[in-house]
Amino acid sequence: MAAVKVCEAEKVYIMHGVRDDLRLDGRGCEDYRHMEIETDVVSNTDGSAKISLGHTDVLVGIKAEIGKPRPMVPDEGYLEFFVDCSANATPEFEGRGGEELGVELSNTLYKVFNNRHSLDLRSLCICPGENCWVLYVDVLLLQCDGNLFDAISIAIKAALFNTRIPKVHISEDEEGGKEIELSDDPFDCMRLNVENVPCIVTLCKIGHRHVVDATLQEKACSVASLLIAVTHTGMVTCVRKMGGGSLDPESIFEMTEAGKRVGKSLHAPLMDLLQKEESLGKKRQKVGFLG
Amino acid sequence: MPVDTKRIRGPEESQSPLLFLSPDKAPKAPSSRQGVRGNGDVRPVFARCGLVSQAKGSAYIEAGNTKIICSVYGPKETERRDETDMKTGRLVCDFRLAPFSCVKRGAWIQGSEERDLSATLMESLRPGVCLHRYPRSQIDVNVMVLENDGSVLAHAVTCASMALADAGIEMYDIVLGCTLRQSGNACLVDPSYAEECGSWQEGYGDNQGCVTLALLPNLNQVSGLNADGEMREDTLTEAMRTCMDGCHKLYPVVQQALTRAVKKKAPPPEK
Repeated sequence: MAAVKVCEAEKVYIMHGVRDDLRLDGRGCEDYRHMEIETDVVSNTDGSAKISLGHTDVLVGIKAEIGKPRPMVPDEGYLEFFVDCSANATPEFEGRGGEELGVELSNTLYKVFNNRHSLDLRSLCICPGENCWVLYVDVLLLQCDGNLFDAISIAIKAALFNTRIPKVHISEDEEGGKEIELSDDPFDCMRLNVENVPCIVTLCKIGHRHVVDATLQEKACSVASLLIAVTHTGMVTCVRKMGGGSLDPESIFEMTEAGKRVGKSLHAPLMDLLQKEESLGKKRQKVGFLG
Repeated sequence: MPVDTKRIRGPEESQSPLLFLSPDKAPKAPSSRQGVRGNGDVRPVFARCGLVSQAKGSAYIEAGNTKIICSVYGPKETERRDETDMKTGRLVCDFRLAPFSCVKRGAWIQGSEERDLSATLMESLRPGVCLHRYPRSQIDVNVMVLENDGSVLAHAVTCASMALADAGIEMYDIVLGCTLRQSGNACLVDPSYAEECGSWQEGYGDNQGCVTLALLPNLNQVSGLNADGEMREDTLTEAMRTCMDGCHKLYPVVQQALTRAVKKKAPPPEK
């Protein structure tokens, strides 16, 4: 992982600050950095979103393709996640360097979405047992300044909100075989219900307190962090402890509660913002990558 | 046309015959545990150390039908050199499921799930090992699951820490693992494979999930936590406490297996 080297004096400085609820950039322990989200940035995708959380930049593109459903669940579609750590972010990611981190991120995403309620997979079914929509969620890391999981999960939620899946019509032809027809109108599409899509909150343990949205320097001072994925109702879909240190059970309970609180409060403003952006319609000024 | 003589061409895509089983004949997952085991009981465990003669340390664990073997090699010279290696050692974990271990045949090439389990295993073991005592060295931990009958990661953690202790690697404490399957309001500790995967597809019920926890019992520190599914926060907290109890129940068995192995290697002097 792109890491920053921090000397002992800096570590002590950061720890003392966190103890007094004051971080390097003046935030409190449970505050996020300035976040900017824009959807529909890539025209070739069915849904896309770009998020910048401080200096972390993530771009998510979703493409919907027609595929065969999984044998065990013939009446559901599925999602495939792939995270690419681009060499743009840091030279360590060049070639296969970013593969380990990318695999870890994709595996966590699979676990976060591995439940019945996050996304209604039945709405992705076209013909049970034969055809279904497969959503390929491709995440691209453009800049890395800590807190990748949170940024990626918020970007995925925004991109899923933005996704427009074309409506298909199954017709029988003469021999009895099924034919798939795409509707002629490019604006005739199906939208996804992203109410229950969880958001990931990463809490890093620094000293005796925990911080949300840690930068790379703060990450270097913490021994362990807890990743918790929370839906808007407060249900927890995935918890993982990361890092090479151990955590006290009491602090895990504390961090889970704080994570749930912070995660729950992320959803409402995010949905408001996405609805507002959508309602601007044609009048929306596209900011793009250099805004 | 050149003919490929080296490979035996099997069917392009083969499927397990169990998929074609009609749904009413499919074995139903038992809603309550038959037999002696209660909902909060861990399966009786058979643990032995020192079976792989070539390895520095090794351990074998059997819990119900889950069979796991682990061998530890090292400390040895590390292959890659980083600045961090100058001060502390490196722990390299490899978690493999044998292709015949699960109901569905797996591949010999390590899939992404196995890599994820290896990373989780490493994270769970790391706090227990005194790596600062082995600078510029690497310790290899190889876990092989021979038969997967549920709660494989938890037992792999226990097996790996027993193997590390058998190898004489300095540790702060032994690391024990325990899994819990939450289904609605009932929770099953140390689930078998059918209990772990059952009702996942069928149940639209709330509060379905699986929690795996790795604990250092004497220091009371949690070194690994993995929760899946969708649960309420208070259910999750309860599940974690139950897992910690499960780990404490496992401790005497592991202690006994280790003392037995030590006595075999270095028998006490004759009186």
